[in-house]
Amino acid sequence: MNVINRRSFLSHASALGLGTALSTLTDIPFVLQRALAEGSIGITGADGRAKKLIFIFLRGANDGLNAVVPFGDPSYGPPNRKNILIEKDPGQPFDARGKALFPVSGQTTPTFDYTSGLPLGNGFAALHPALKFLAPVYNAGDLALIHRVGYPKQSRSHFDSQNYWETGSPNSNLVKDGLLYRAMIESGLAHSSPLTGVSIGSSLPLILRGSKAAMTNLSDPTRYNLLAVPNTPQGNLKADAALAAANKAQFTGKRDRDLLALQYGNLASTLDIFAQLDFSETGNTFVDDEATDGDLPYSLFPTTNAKNGGFARANNAQKYVVPTSAYGFFLNLKAASLVLNKTSALVAGTSIDGWDTHSNQGAATGSQANLLRRIGWAVYALRKYFTKYADKCRWDDLVIVTLSEFGRTTIENSDNGTDHAEANVMFVAGGGVKGLETDALGTVKRSGVFNCGGSSDPIAWQTGQNGSMFQSTGRYLKRNTDYRSVLGKLIRDHLGATQTQLDRIIPGYTDPKESLKARGVQTRDGTEVIGEPDIV
Amino acid sequence: MKKNSALFPRIALLAMSGALASWVAAADTGTPVITGISAEPGRVTLGFAPYPATVEYQIERADALGQPYRPDTTGFLDGFGWTGLSSAPGDGFFRVNARVLTPDALLATTLLQRIAYGPSPDDLARVRAIGPDAYIAEQLAPETITEDIDSAVITPSWRKVTVTGTGSSSSLYIYLDGAGEVYLDDIRLVAGAVDDAAKANLLRGGDFETTLGSNWILSPNVAGSALTPDEAHGGSLSMHVVSVGAGSSQSTAVYQSVAPALNAATTYTLSYWYFTSQTVTAKLTVRLSGSGITSTHGLGGAVDSPAPIFAKLKDGSATMTDLRAWHLLHAIQSRKQLTEVLRQFWENHFVTDYSKTRDYFDNAGLATDAAGRVATQLESKENLRWRAAMSDPKATFHDMLKISAESPAMIIYLDTINSKGSGTSIANENYARELCELFSFGVDNGYDQADIVQISRVWTGWSIRLVDPAQEFNPFAFVTTNYLDPNAITNKTAVTNLVGAWSFNYKAANHNTAQKKIFFNHDAKGVVTTPKLVPARFGPPWAGRDYSLTIPAGTGNPTLQEGYKLLGHMADQPFTQEFLSVKLCRLFVHDGFAIGYDFTDAETTPEEELVHACMLAWESPSNGGPKGQLREVLRTIFNSALFRSDAASLQKVKTPLEFVASAMRALRARRDDGSYTVSTDGREIQPVMDRLGRMRLFDRMEPDGYPEDAAAWISAGTLAERIRFVQAALMPAGRTGKSDVGASTQTDPVGLLRIKAPEAMRDAGKVADYFLDLLFPAEGKANLAAFRSIAVAFLDTADDGTTTSAFSALAPGTSAYDLRLRGMVALLMATQRFQEQ
Repeated sequence: MNVINRRSFLSHASALGLGTALSTLTDIPFVLQRALAEGSIGITGADGRAKKLIFIFLRGANDGLNAVVPFGDPSYGPPNRKNILIEKDPGQPFDARGKALFPVSGQTTPTFDYTSGLPLGNGFAALHPALKFLAPVYNAGDLALIHRVGYPKQSRSHFDSQNYWETGSPNSNLVKDGLLYRAMIESGLAHSSPLTGVSIGSSLPLILRGSKAAMTNLSDPTRYNLLAVPNTPQGNLKADAALAAANKAQFTGKRDRDLLALQYGNLASTLDIFAQLDFSETGNTFVDDEATDGDLPYSLFPTTNAKNGGFARANNAQKYVVPTSAYGFFLNLKAASLVLNKTSALVAGTSIDGWDTHSNQGAATGSQANLLRRIGWAVYALRKYFTKYADKCRWDDLVIVTLSEFGRTTIENSDNGTDHAEANVMFVAGGGVKGLETDALGTVKRSGVFNCGGSSDPIAWQTGQNGSMFQSTGRYLKRNTDYRSVLGKLIRDHLGATQTQLDRIIPGYTDPKESLKARGVQTRDGTEVIGEPDIV
Repeated sequence: MKKNSALFPRIALLAMSGALASWVAAADTGTPVITGISAEPGRVTLGFAPYPATVEYQIERADALGQPYRPDTTGFLDGFGWTGLSSAPGDGFFRVNARVLTPDALLATTLLQRIAYGPSPDDLARVRAIGPDAYIAEQLAPETITEDIDSAVITPSWRKVTVTGTGSSSSLYIYLDGAGEVYLDDIRLVAGAVDDAAKANLLRGGDFETTLGSNWILSPNVAGSALTPDEAHGGSLSMHVVSVGAGSSQSTAVYQSVAPALNAATTYTLSYWYFTSQTVTAKLTVRLSGSGITSTHGLGGAVDSPAPIFAKLKDGSATMTDLRAWHLLHAIQSRKQLTEVLRQFWENHFVTDYSKTRDYFDNAGLATDAAGRVATQLESKENLRWRAAMSDPKATFHDMLKISAESPAMIIYLDTINSKGSGTSIANENYARELCELFSFGVDNGYDQADIVQISRVWTGWSIRLVDPAQEFNPFAFVTTNYLDPNAITNKTAVTNLVGAWSFNYKAANHNTAQKKIFFNHDAKGVVTTPKLVPARFGPPWAGRDYSLTIPAGTGNPTLQEGYKLLGHMADQPFTQEFLSVKLCRLFVHDGFAIGYDFTDAETTPEEELVHACMLAWESPSNGGPKGQLREVLRTIFNSALFRSDAASLQKVKTPLEFVASAMRALRARRDDGSYTVSTDGREIQPVMDRLGRMRLFDRMEPDGYPEDAAAWISAGTLAERIRFVQAALMPAGRTGKSDVGASTQTDPVGLLRIKAPEAMRDAGKVADYFLDLLFPAEGKANLAAFRSIAVAFLDTADDGTTTSAFSALAPGTSAYDLRLRGMVALLMATQRFQEQ
């Protein structure tokens, strides 16, 4: 679609005095928007690939303290967390040894039956055992685990807090559209590229919604074809051909006819693209490049029992890598992956519901563990998929980020669950992510754990009953990082926004009172934060 | 010639120089432009740009300047090109005439696209007959329109059900899912996808005129069933099915073993008539074992009637699905189309969020479904109040604003519910901000943050309470003392034990009692200085006016009046006049209106002038009544040259609601028996609107309401769903893909032709012409030539897409005819042009 070379157009434009500091691209003819856009969001490199992003929204609020567990803080444990405790395995070393301990030695089936936390090698933090498949990604240096993420004056309402995460504007209704939607508008491609932002789920989430361009939601990617009466294969071809002929018909000019023609064209091209993709179950042939369990290469997207871990070989539900209730999510994740890997889409996302574990949260097993198993395998599988099956998106081009509206109370409640609290964990993974780094001797140069390393953290994790876990309203883990700093860093340094664009995508990004870019105090509630974590 | 079809010519000129090689097109703007011309001995070829609303193009030629132009009949038109076989290829001058729709004909189409949810066959004929101005007058006075769709008593009558499927078994079952009775008659099962009267009934004794004998077997559950003369559809008897309990299979059904056996791979069509009942609640099922063909439905006989839903809305038992269905059914069916369009406008302008309301009541202790019903009722009440208010000829914007402010749904949505300004509490600014930005003045139009802080204090105390229904409109009422269980010992006053109405309630104790100085300027230290004045750009009569408002300190219940005073003050300020005029112009004319025009400078546009005219009609109504009368403003828009011109016609894209409603309306004509050629229960098409870009009615999370403009709704993904929707809507019952719209959503284009154009039925060209005029009435016949040839080719081609199969050879009533026509209509509705209005 990009007939005009962007930079040559810009030189012409400045010669003509058009200027390039556009506050909005939406009043510009669609085909010129990319040419006039700043930055490099969506610009393909020499290999024809652009930087992309997958987001997974953990709706309901994940209990971050049981996901990346601060074993180094003695307050993590009974009596604060008695019935939902992740155990520390006394038989395993828990020192600053660098890599996560994986697979745990002495286990006959190395990836199964973990019942205690997996030390992350920084002497402080451990992974929930259900997240064990994050360990190989972590050890490859492709995973950043960012703890203590929140925002000033944290709302503990799901409704408000999800809104704030998605609009990028906490405690404010000044901004009404989605953060990633604005990133797509800034790319200048929102109207000319067939697909830019795509969600897979029941409906388009706020983070991709806005009034100037329609992002795409696929409630069921197998629906992405044009039904036609009488719905026979040849009849559908007949109807498609007739519609294509009708699209060529010439008409008088009207206000929206260029847009309609463009999007009908985009529809035709995405139909072609999607027609070559197989979203069906039979098309789900993606398998690991190694025998995960000393067993056989597992399916990357477990969507049936037979594709769930080693079940096919062992015929044993113990060999499932994810719960059987996870198939819907992996169907969506597979669709998101195919869309990013095979189309021009830049951002794709889906969500997992059910994290609101007010009662019977469970510990090493149970309801939260079952949800975490999805995350662990999802990140593991995406790394493999975008490596082994890379087409328009390699693992190095991709960042995966999880969002969740707030963390949960430090102290469990009387229902063996946790209630709404404040700071939480974000998972960020990708080939370009700055995770664990060790030198040739195995000495740690950089940990992949951010903000959960005890006294070595830039803003130290203070331990004990007056420590970080109790520093907000006496009950909640206190934040030291703003979620906007994480997303802003990714949008600018991974997707390719300029700082000026980022100021529009995340309003107030450079406001010194917000301290989003560099370490400082967020004046709205006087909390010190680290600014941007160095994750990409 | 009837007035509404009178046409007049427009003229375009082409000046031609003497040399054949140097044709020059000198376009007269506003007329068909010749875009290219070439000539060789004996042949002239020219191309021209399409011209809006053109019914016929004609080429004229003059041999020399000063000579008269005469139609050149030597050539032939092909789309927007013309080839002439001139016998005198020397110097000549050509021009293109466009015969366009008359102003009335054009206006009729614009009205149906904008003040209605799209043309229906009946409305299109009616507006063309009575003339557009009569339609405007009627729609602006909905109180003069008689309508009973919410109160219609459904008289029992015979209804036909037709369902197509495969022969999964040779056992046919008839049963009710509970105790009850029903009369059935003329049940037929034929091979093929339509109820082809020429085909033999595969069922024995389906006319229910001879004894049941061994044809129909009665299982014990339905042993009381018998033939009866009490009611009959055909002949003198019908089958009276009497069930003492729930049926589910052969052992609890009236059944027949069909002989010879059906073929599982073959398509069959089942049809029968049943007599409707408003008293029997059990559902009737008629199906083959194995469910290759299944029909299950209630006996109310009015799936598409909003009356039963309206009763539920009134008694508080309706769910959000019910309310959405009612809203959709009104959009499709109501004669008060402008009222329905405006009701959606107000609902969307004063947006609230069902999910947030439901969560509130969920947290307040109600079970989720009960919370949902309360939240639904609050949405329903504000909509019914807006509708009632609009039937007052002098209804004002201020009236609409008050209804919104008093709505518990708004009080919950924008957080005044718990807002306190007493003591050291800081008032919640949410409602104050949106009142300025979204509900009245428009963003950054005449207010600033200091005003928002002041206004937020005015709204402290605006809350809700569960009160005795008799006290619903008393904002000082106490909590109801009607108890579900008056003898409850524990939790007697829990919300789950209270009977009442959730109503606007004023809590003076939460109110900020200080003086409020609103719309004042401030110095650098934030100290109030001078009143704000209306900016110069508004010009007379507004510019320079002091629009400040000082509310004195006060205490107790009288401080409730502060809110009303402020609403009255803001409702008619020029900022509000401008913002609402712009929004109404965007709704009715096109999306290219903005706030911020300088009404005093020399530069102007038709858009600016129309906004200005609306503001003047708001400020100084011609009837001398109060400011802000909606009908005065609307009349200004509808009478404007801009609204009546090509600059408005087809210049907007349908929102998901408009798309769904207009697709249903487009094919919906009244049959002689009072039924319609389209039906839907309004429930099953709701998921469609979610797939078209998440237009969940009454459930917009963001306070800016659903957008009007095309870019917000049109993407490749949403277009795929739009196309799937029209295809599913046209799909005959029982076929894969029909589930997208549900079995209740039925269309009958063959039936439509039988009513509206029976003479055209065997002629592909005439059939195409009928639907092109119905679906694209504003485009002009000559501009639809390409669509016409595509439609005709579609009709004349078999389903394989290659074999020629003349449509004229297909007999109406056959499956092949039905499918061919459905496919063609769905194709036209899948085009870019059907996205527009």
